[in-house]
Amino acid sequence: MKRAWQLTSLGFCALALVALVESLRYPMLDRLGPGPGLFPCLLALATAGVGLALAVQVSLGRVPEAEDPEARLLPSREARRPVLAVLVALAGATLLLGVLGFRLTMFLFLVGLPWALGARNPWAIVLFALAGSVGLHWVLSTGLELPLPAGRLGL
Amino acid sequence: MDIVQHWLHGFAVATTPENLLFVVIGSVLGTLVGLLPGLGPIEGTAILIPLTYRMEPIPALIMLAAIYYGAMYGGTISSVLVNVPGEGVSVVTCFDGYQMARQGRAGVALGVAAIGSFVGGTIATVALMLVALPLARVALAIGPPEMFALLLIGFVLVATLGGRRLLPSLLMALVGLLLAMVGMDPVRGAPRLAFGVPELYDGIGFIPVVMGLFGVAEIMLALEHPTPPAPGARVGGLRGMLPSREEWPRVAGAIGRGTLLGFLLGLIPGIGAVIPTFAAYALEKRLSRHPERFGTGVVEGVAAPETANNAYANASMVPLLTLGVPGSPTLAVLMGAFIIHGVTPGAFLFRERPDLVWGLIASLYVGNLVLLVLNLPMVGLWARLLELPRAYLYPAILLFAIIGCYSVRQSLFDVGLMLVFGVLGYLVRKLDWPVAPTVLALILAPLMEKALRNSLEMSGGDASIFVTRPIAALLLGVAAVALVLAAAGLGPIRRLGAPPEP
Repeated sequence: MKRAWQLTSLGFCALALVALVESLRYPMLDRLGPGPGLFPCLLALATAGVGLALAVQVSLGRVPEAEDPEARLLPSREARRPVLAVLVALAGATLLLGVLGFRLTMFLFLVGLPWALGARNPWAIVLFALAGSVGLHWVLSTGLELPLPAGRLGL
Repeated sequence: MDIVQHWLHGFAVATTPENLLFVVIGSVLGTLVGLLPGLGPIEGTAILIPLTYRMEPIPALIMLAAIYYGAMYGGTISSVLVNVPGEGVSVVTCFDGYQMARQGRAGVALGVAAIGSFVGGTIATVALMLVALPLARVALAIGPPEMFALLLIGFVLVATLGGRRLLPSLLMALVGLLLAMVGMDPVRGAPRLAFGVPELYDGIGFIPVVMGLFGVAEIMLALEHPTPPAPGARVGGLRGMLPSREEWPRVAGAIGRGTLLGFLLGLIPGIGAVIPTFAAYALEKRLSRHPERFGTGVVEGVAAPETANNAYANASMVPLLTLGVPGSPTLAVLMGAFIIHGVTPGAFLFRERPDLVWGLIASLYVGNLVLLVLNLPMVGLWARLLELPRAYLYPAILLFAIIGCYSVRQSLFDVGLMLVFGVLGYLVRKLDWPVAPTVLALILAPLMEKALRNSLEMSGGDASIFVTRPIAALLLGVAAVALVLAAAGLGPIRRLGAPPEP
């Protein structure tokens, strides 16, 4: 976990430096007092400083005791498939919602993800997917007037 | 209008048939989402916000508040029955609650939790009614420097109590503050840190961050550690949910102390919901004649943290409603819902929307009663829901998370952000870094920046305004002392944040 702590601290440090450079483009002070760049600049400096301090602390060997010595940053071999399935399903839904619309995208999402997570009853999966896509769309858009993505296909 | 008239007016608002219905719906939905693995009060409240978009502010906020405390109780059920706390607030309940379930006393554990929650929540609501108006009057006299100093105390407490280690907590809180800088400058109205991405001009919404860091990450973590079926899921009838005659005095004492502790800690902005439960458990253990029995299934080990939890939940409405300062990530989500409904929490609310604020406060009382009446007979049903196959449960949760993220701004970009923060939350939580400070800081940051800049504008850029005004100086001193104590790893600040041993 030591390497993961170092990398994550330095990752946040790098992001803060990007924000610092960007914040320097805005005025720090103007005629009314503090400008729009002041607070982001101070925060970016503080974030980079704390991130660096944490990375140094870990590098100096002051590694905090691990809650679980066997813990790993990435999922174990058995968990890799379901975790990846969640990520792929979410990414796919994000990309498809604007094209296929809520009902079709969510139907595919609710068929694919339960299958990937171990459900094997096709009737139960299809019923579940229909309820979560067509049924929920009807409840939310008709009953609660909640706007849901229609997609380019208008579905 | 004196305080009694405000109370009566509040009860008149909260007990209209429409609002009563929303209290019941909110309590049931809250309990449901709270007990499901992967969902706690934060995600539950965030996911269900879209259901209220088309509602009027008063019933919407009454329902969301009911979801909030309902979810708190829901977390207790999964803690007792399957040893899976919905979130940090229910961790301590697992110690003795799960042991009681293994001994076949799940019903008693849940019954005591329901009674403790009712008593703690009700007494805290009465106290809230008494202190809210005087505090709101004091809050009206607070200027931007004092508000900045107060928010800074909240931020320091969030950063230092959020986890066992100072630097990761502080880093995650700072990341939250930095994320809040993305979007329009609150004073000048110019976009900043948007890197030319138009979707970022409106800033990073808290819903995608909450859903990602908590909901998506929790599901990914849960998939790595599947929960075993509950061994003590049988609850029995209503009679099987009450403690024995010998246990009642211990339960009553634990409930009394838990109420007081939960209420007092709830008044401190930024203390978070976890600390009161830890502190109540530790206090009971210290006062017990048999501290060695804690962790083996003693009833006061459930009564104290559950009571403190609900007393805290209602008391923490005080800083939210009077100062506009959320005390925990869940309250930050609730505050976001206030803003979505065009209501800005703070002292002016008592003057401008007395119907809303007193109706909401009265609804807490009604909601506690509804929770008690509903949950005692329904515990068996809740227990069966815990047996839902995860292959269907997790996609359903993600489906609601997608809808919740999309519907706030009708933005698919926000759904993508949820995914990004889900991965981030998964990684940092595997490192055992806290993510709650990020969410709370994200909400506190615009308030802090506005207060800081207004203060400096008042003084013409002279920062000494923070030390020349006595209340601001005192509050800044408190923040500095809290930070130094936490950095030194000593004192009550760190001990409070440390989880008790079962």
